[in-house]
Amino acid sequence: MANNYLKSESKQLATWYFTFAAIIFGAQLVFGLVVAIQFVVPGFLYGVLDFSIARILHINALVVWMVFAMFGSVYWLLPDETGIETVGIKLGKLLFWIFAAAIVVVVLVFLLVQVGPADNTTIWFITEGREYIEAPRWADWGIVVVALGFVANLFLTGMKGRQTGIVTVLMADMIAFSGLYLAGMFFTNNISVDQYWWWWVIHLWVEATWEVFVGSIAAYGLIKMIGAHRQVVEMWLWIEVAMLFGSGILGLGHHYFWIGTPEYWWEIGALFSALEPLPLVAMFIHVLYDWGKETGLQMAEVHEGHKIEGHTINNKPAFTWFVLNAFGNFLGAGIWGFFHTLPQVNLYTHGTQFTAAHGHLAFFGAYATILVGMMYIAVQGSNGIKVLNHTKASLWGVSLITGGVMGMTIALTIAGYVQVLVSRAQMGATWAAYFDGQDGVWFQQAMDWRLLMGVVTFVGFLFLAKDLLSTGKSAVHIR
Amino acid sequence: MMESMIRPEIALNDFLPIFISSAFVLVFGSLYVGIYTAVKVNMLKKWAMPLAYLFWFLTCYMLYIMGSLMHVGEFTAKVLVVAMIGYLILPHAIYYMQNQVHEENGH
Repeated sequence: MANNYLKSESKQLATWYFTFAAIIFGAQLVFGLVVAIQFVVPGFLYGVLDFSIARILHINALVVWMVFAMFGSVYWLLPDETGIETVGIKLGKLLFWIFAAAIVVVVLVFLLVQVGPADNTTIWFITEGREYIEAPRWADWGIVVVALGFVANLFLTGMKGRQTGIVTVLMADMIAFSGLYLAGMFFTNNISVDQYWWWWVIHLWVEATWEVFVGSIAAYGLIKMIGAHRQVVEMWLWIEVAMLFGSGILGLGHHYFWIGTPEYWWEIGALFSALEPLPLVAMFIHVLYDWGKETGLQMAEVHEGHKIEGHTINNKPAFTWFVLNAFGNFLGAGIWGFFHTLPQVNLYTHGTQFTAAHGHLAFFGAYATILVGMMYIAVQGSNGIKVLNHTKASLWGVSLITGGVMGMTIALTIAGYVQVLVSRAQMGATWAAYFDGQDGVWFQQAMDWRLLMGVVTFVGFLFLAKDLLSTGKSAVHIR
Repeated sequence: MMESMIRPEIALNDFLPIFISSAFVLVFGSLYVGIYTAVKVNMLKKWAMPLAYLFWFLTCYMLYIMGSLMHVGEFTAKVLVVAMIGYLILPHAIYYMQNQVHEENGH
């Protein structure tokens, strides 16, 4: 992606991160298709790539591509926000290669070795066995080094250059984001204790630090794309940060209902989880507010006969993905989360396909959308385009991916509902009850639909990849 | 044929209403703040404002249905009432702050 238009080395490095992220995104979808097929045809790839391994690859690839795209987003916006080149850019480039190489080795080990001897060598060299962050310990330490280098670059640049609200929030957020990873790195021989700390990583990432990151990126994007007023946007950002941390940190309690932690977590988890959708509503209103204000300004300017330059959306695909983020975050994290977050309901829904439905729509709506939007902003900057318009491929990409993920979510919700009624409520959550739920015709049909919608999503991804690679050369843009 | 074991916490027929009412709590809640904000920034005509308050009322009603089907305790019920009053005030407060910032910047 990088070329003559990119004078900033930080932005060049960002394009490396985005490119690698897009490749891993593709890998995530491929392994997702494998596990979706295995739900429908259980013998598929038996003995070659078992469900457990394909699932590891599917969810770890998700986390990794998002982390890469997040790092890329920060490297992209740093020069714009601070007004200076990123400090320690050579270190940043070296760390990129270390990170990418480590990920490739880990994926190859997952694919080729798969299972270890169930002692410490497994933890160190094959898999740690903690969902979402299954990298073996050697890679864990590598990731810590990479994250420290990234945070150092962010801090040194932030302290040397202009300190905007966006950079300040990112500095605080990224140190928490990196520090929390340490909570998932030590071995305990008690599953309750293990799960207790593991949720510190997963929950405090996706429902606190990552969401704050999204707020910062949305703020940057609105300033870049529609010329939103910085002071207004940053004020929203502070409100969102306060609401996100205020609800999200103790919202952690909703993971502590049934794992052996004290019962006071029921009340804490219920109360703070119920508050968690509030900042998502705020984010959705935030986009609406700025968009409305800008539209109002445009209309006023046209009315008064002024030029309207500077008040048009200068990157339509990115703005589409950003608006999708506002809605998708609210829908996936908010509604599908609230569905099953209260303990009275979670008693039945815990660990059913409801969780998978929420996971799919929340990760897509809250994170994938805005990170793809950032990739489009990078494409625009890399090709010196003044106004980036939609192409046929970008429209097909966004429509098929969104429709596909939405379809998967609905299918998984129906499957989860069957499990709640049959496995849990009627049959009392026994081992046999689990199979009664799985054997239901509604469950099985839902899995067929999930696979079909997974294929739709993958086709959408192919359009998206084609567009990201070729749209820079398209004639539909204003240069 | 296995004997079914109906659990006492929530009635079997109440699951769907609980899921639907909980979804509508958020949908109506977002429509309330959404319409309120849209009218304030002139994206919608002024006559739409009563609709915003209608949606706030529907949000309260959905929360009431959800809470009663889930058999929430007395204390939780009080918290829910306070939460809804807070939610009524929230967009007004945020919009007021936003507007002040806009005014200060002549924007």
